[in-house]
Amino acid sequence: MVEPVIAAREVDFWYGQFQALRGVSLDIMDDEVTAMIGPSGCGKSTFLKLLNRMNDFVPGARLAGEILLRGQSIYGPEADPVDIRRRVGMVFQRPNPFPKSIYDNICYGPRLVGIRKAAELDVVAEKALRAAALWDEVKDLLGKSAMELSGGQQQRVCIARALALEPDILLMDEPTSALDPIATAKVEDWIREAGMTIVIVTHNMQQAARISDRTAFFYMGELAEYGPTMELFTSPKETRTENYITGRFG
Amino acid sequence: MTADAAKPEASRRDVEPPAAERTTQAVAEPASVAPAGQPPVERPFVALRPRLSPAEKGSRLFFLVCAVAAMGQMLLIMVFLFGEAAGLFLGQDGQPGVSLRDFFLSEDWYPTYDPPAFGALALLAGSLSVTVCSTLLAGPLGLGLAVYLACVAGPRTREWVKPAVELLAAVPSVVLGLVGMAAVAPFLQNVLNLPTGLNVLNASLILTIMATPTVASLGEDALTAVPKDIQDASYALGATRWETIWKVTVPAALGGLSTAVILGLGRSLGETLVVLMVAGGAAHIPLSVFDSVRPLTSTLAAEMGETAIGGRHYQALFALGALLFVMTLAFNLLAWRLSRRWRSGR
Repeated sequence: MVEPVIAAREVDFWYGQFQALRGVSLDIMDDEVTAMIGPSGCGKSTFLKLLNRMNDFVPGARLAGEILLRGQSIYGPEADPVDIRRRVGMVFQRPNPFPKSIYDNICYGPRLVGIRKAAELDVVAEKALRAAALWDEVKDLLGKSAMELSGGQQQRVCIARALALEPDILLMDEPTSALDPIATAKVEDWIREAGMTIVIVTHNMQQAARISDRTAFFYMGELAEYGPTMELFTSPKETRTENYITGRFG
Repeated sequence: MTADAAKPEASRRDVEPPAAERTTQAVAEPASVAPAGQPPVERPFVALRPRLSPAEKGSRLFFLVCAVAAMGQMLLIMVFLFGEAAGLFLGQDGQPGVSLRDFFLSEDWYPTYDPPAFGALALLAGSLSVTVCSTLLAGPLGLGLAVYLACVAGPRTREWVKPAVELLAAVPSVVLGLVGMAAVAPFLQNVLNLPTGLNVLNASLILTIMATPTVASLGEDALTAVPKDIQDASYALGATRWETIWKVTVPAALGGLSTAVILGLGRSLGETLVVLMVAGGAAHIPLSVFDSVRPLTSTLAAEMGETAIGGRHYQALFALGALLFVMTLAFNLLAWRLSRRWRSGR
């Protein structure tokens, strides 16, 4: 069997007294788009944020179980959160570019890892913007503030900003929920064609069906069902999944 | 109402056959786009506006009165201040006016001599010296405190430090002046072996105590107003807490932070009692921080009681007041401009 990019083993997670995840085990495979769906509060976003240790900032957060990134424990004693966040990129629900130029947004990560030379940064920035399919739109506006772009372009700047560190995997937390349909379509097109490992949390089941190879359905903190997207949507094994995808709740 | 509502219908029938009405309405482009061969149709319209109850109209009037009163006060103060000040420069009762050149460029302030001299340069230098020195101290101190409160301190620590800083702002300036006279002055005099401890340094230290809470409090507001999501973005790119503070939070708050410093500076510039008590009162241009100075504010406070109303000394003090007013206004405008310019970045 191929080694997964991320392997979660019996993950329990608490916010203070509240248990948000119960015994979640799943493998995320290379070069696949994995969608996480489920009703609000089901734990899908919580699980996503565990993959790059963004829950470290939540007071009273506790974790049991194990999450491996290419075989190395993300929460082990020798794990370095800074290194993990560089290998596991993230795009957030609302576009959150820095109030800086497009160029400085893209170069933020590379500069943190010590790339200082303008020539090198130029190469990195162009590569990242091309990878985010944004280069042709913004190549003449690199000095412009990212805040002046449209919401959809801002979100793609955020994608490019994450890609500039060449992460192994990209996490996307409802990346289109603040975007209009046209901008959403562009982001979805990008996800389909990116050819990289992506984990995307979405409220929108049609979106999961459109863009993902595998889908994980979370319900009440448990991973209710996980499988190839086609199977999960056409012949779900669980009644809970069926009820959710047919719109009976959620 | 009924008549208004009926109008569009009526006018439409004049130019179009009733049968076509529905379709044209459904695809209605702006009225000027008329079918070929027909003149553009002016469609009647109704302007929409909220309906106000008498209570709403009444409260609107009340707030209007408040606004007009505030502006009126401002206007009256300006008219009074500049009107009296103008007398000094225009001259009266056969006496020649003081030239602007003498007022701004002469450091001779001898208002009670005969003939008197009304040079404001030394007083201006006095004000600027204590203001600049205290801002150089209170700026970094206040901003550091702001970063500590907004980004570093845990909730527990903040609960103690923040009220303490606010309490510092609430200390009456006369009390701080007493501290300056009774504690700081002898200390400076003995330790540094100076002729007097009442000098620029002393005044700057006391003004720093007064301005620091202003800078810290406004600076903290500016830093906490930075959206959390861009800080998350920074962490998600592998930045540490310090990298996030220095490269994201502080730059994003720069407008508010510079406003905080400028308003702290304004606080120092306008402060009267402290400088009256501890700056020493000598009207000459300071050559070092150990010289005594006589800022504009303390000159006004000390001399106003000794002047004859309408006299030249009286007018000269108004001219100093006007100068102070213009400087304060300029700094406030600058603060306002900075906060606006940087805010538009986000």
